[in-house]
Amino acid sequence: MRGLTRILLALWFVLAAAAAFAQDKEQGTTISEVDMYVSPDSTSQRLAQVTRGRDVILVMDRTTLGGKVWAHVLVVVEVNPDRESARQISGWIPNTYLITTATPNGDQIIYGEAVDSENQAQQRGGRRGAAQDAMRLYYRLYEYFPNSPLAGEALWRAADIRWQMEKADERLRPISREMDPGMRDGIDEQTMRLLQKKFPRTKWSDLASFDMIDNKLCGSWKGETKCPEKESEIYEKYAREHPDSPKAAEALYNAAWRQAVLADMYKAQNERDKSEKARKKSVELAQEITTRFAEGDWKPQAMELMHALQQGIPVYDIETKKPAS
Amino acid sequence: MKHWNQVGVPVLILLAAALAQAADRGTLIRESPLYSSAGSSSQKVGQVERGRDLTIQERKDADGQAWFRISMAADQAAQITKELDGWVPGQAMVTASTANGDQIIFGQAVASEHEAEERGGRKGAAQDAQRLYARVAEFFPSSSLAAEAAWRSADIRWQLAKADVRSGTPPEEKYLQEVITRYPNTKQAQLAAFELLEGKLCPEWRGLPDCPEKESAMYEQYAREYPQSPKAAEALYNAAWRQAALADMYRIDNNNSKSDAARKKGTTLAQQIMNQYPQGDWKPRASDLLYKLEKKIPTFGSATQ
Repeated sequence: MRGLTRILLALWFVLAAAAAFAQDKEQGTTISEVDMYVSPDSTSQRLAQVTRGRDVILVMDRTTLGGKVWAHVLVVVEVNPDRESARQISGWIPNTYLITTATPNGDQIIYGEAVDSENQAQQRGGRRGAAQDAMRLYYRLYEYFPNSPLAGEALWRAADIRWQMEKADERLRPISREMDPGMRDGIDEQTMRLLQKKFPRTKWSDLASFDMIDNKLCGSWKGETKCPEKESEIYEKYAREHPDSPKAAEALYNAAWRQAVLADMYKAQNERDKSEKARKKSVELAQEITTRFAEGDWKPQAMELMHALQQGIPVYDIETKKPAS
Repeated sequence: MKHWNQVGVPVLILLAAALAQAADRGTLIRESPLYSSAGSSSQKVGQVERGRDLTIQERKDADGQAWFRISMAADQAAQITKELDGWVPGQAMVTASTANGDQIIFGQAVASEHEAEERGGRKGAAQDAQRLYARVAEFFPSSSLAAEAAWRSADIRWQLAKADVRSGTPPEEKYLQEVITRYPNTKQAQLAAFELLEGKLCPEWRGLPDCPEKESAMYEQYAREYPQSPKAAEALYNAAWRQAALADMYRIDNNNSKSDAARKKGTTLAQQIMNQYPQGDWKPRASDLLYKLEKKIPTFGSATQ
């Protein structure tokens, strides 16, 4: 018994020491695309190219050669998202491009570079891979500066960029047009879930919940009422559960618009009662938007929807099974 | 009293004429065929897009709904004076006398703008949005949405002209200038003034310092003139970033004193952003730039270090 206690104590000591080491060790990322060399010399063999935001899991050493500071680092240079594999490689990079937990204002610098990359990604002819750079940089900020005031926003932006990229990829697959969302693999929710766990009851958590609705939407409606019925319900529920979310008005509008679609669908099926009920529900929801969200673009959009409902302007084209153009 | 009688009558006449004119104008919030006569069984003679400026000539009931005889410029973009004439169903017609007409047209403009931003969105949706916003400002000049609508219309027009590289003609400034003149000292006027700076940028720097020097001064002047503008921090950042580029250019030319001066200027401007605009994305971007200036990381030129 005493022997077992001794072993457990020793194990605890080893684990505690490892944790302390992990906390103390200098980690970070690069804010520019840099070449990694076998030794601290740009004429030496080039090992790899380290793109922005890559995970520098350990800074092992620094040396100054010819007035230039070099850092000996261990970097994750390749991640295969499908296999979740990572390749670690060690080598030398110029120290100036390395931002670590020890860099003053490191969080601000990484975040600034991430915003810059995100802007690049949105520009026509912007840098290739800039969106991925931004995603990694934002994530590194959260990972290595969890107490920074920018951490929540950074993790949200990382999660959202990943989400939008995967969503765009998914749309290219034929299965994305399946009516039943259960038929699709769905977009990976891991980073969104992490965000909700780390920053519960925040604006970012609300935004994550809104993005995740995508996984519950039908790939196509095929002119059937069950999809808009269900989706309207989902959006309304979101608006009720997250009344202070920046997406609450949009969610209510999405619910109202789907009710207007249902009014058109039921009308075409000669189900007058159901059509009228959907029309009324749509007007109610649109009115709620105009009352609760007087500022911004959702009030005029809700007014336009109410006008369309009042004038009998269709919002859904029954023949093409698409929103009316 | 006599004076009022003399002035008041013509003013009232003018006011009545203006109101009559405004009431005779309308626009569609959905695309519709143009018919030769009232009724959907008549011949289609054209198409009326969303947001077209329509002059209402006549109103009639047919097919159990209201129909409008309208006339419009055959090609509004080219400003050809030839007029098209015909009938449209009244469902989607919004006029200056429609209750909440400003909100309704603005709402459809926003929806069209969203549509234009979506992959596979409706063709011509950006142009629809541009026209619809313009109609809000024209038909409802006293609306709380008028300034924003005028700005958005001018902005979309500017962006479309900029993207149309095939035409080879620079975007017209007059619509942005109109926003500045009509809505002085507003956020929208400040945004229009910022956009106009784009027209003054060099198409290419060709590695020479003249352009970034001039552009940096221009952006700095904007920030000084409009310190409350939503674009003031961005203007200061643009000025600072150009100074950082100049520091690199002069260094490459072995002009160390000018390189140092540019770096110092870039640093001062970046620090100013951090002090004046602690909220939002510009402070971290300025921090990033400041770090690069301090460490002499090139901001202009090679992609891989």
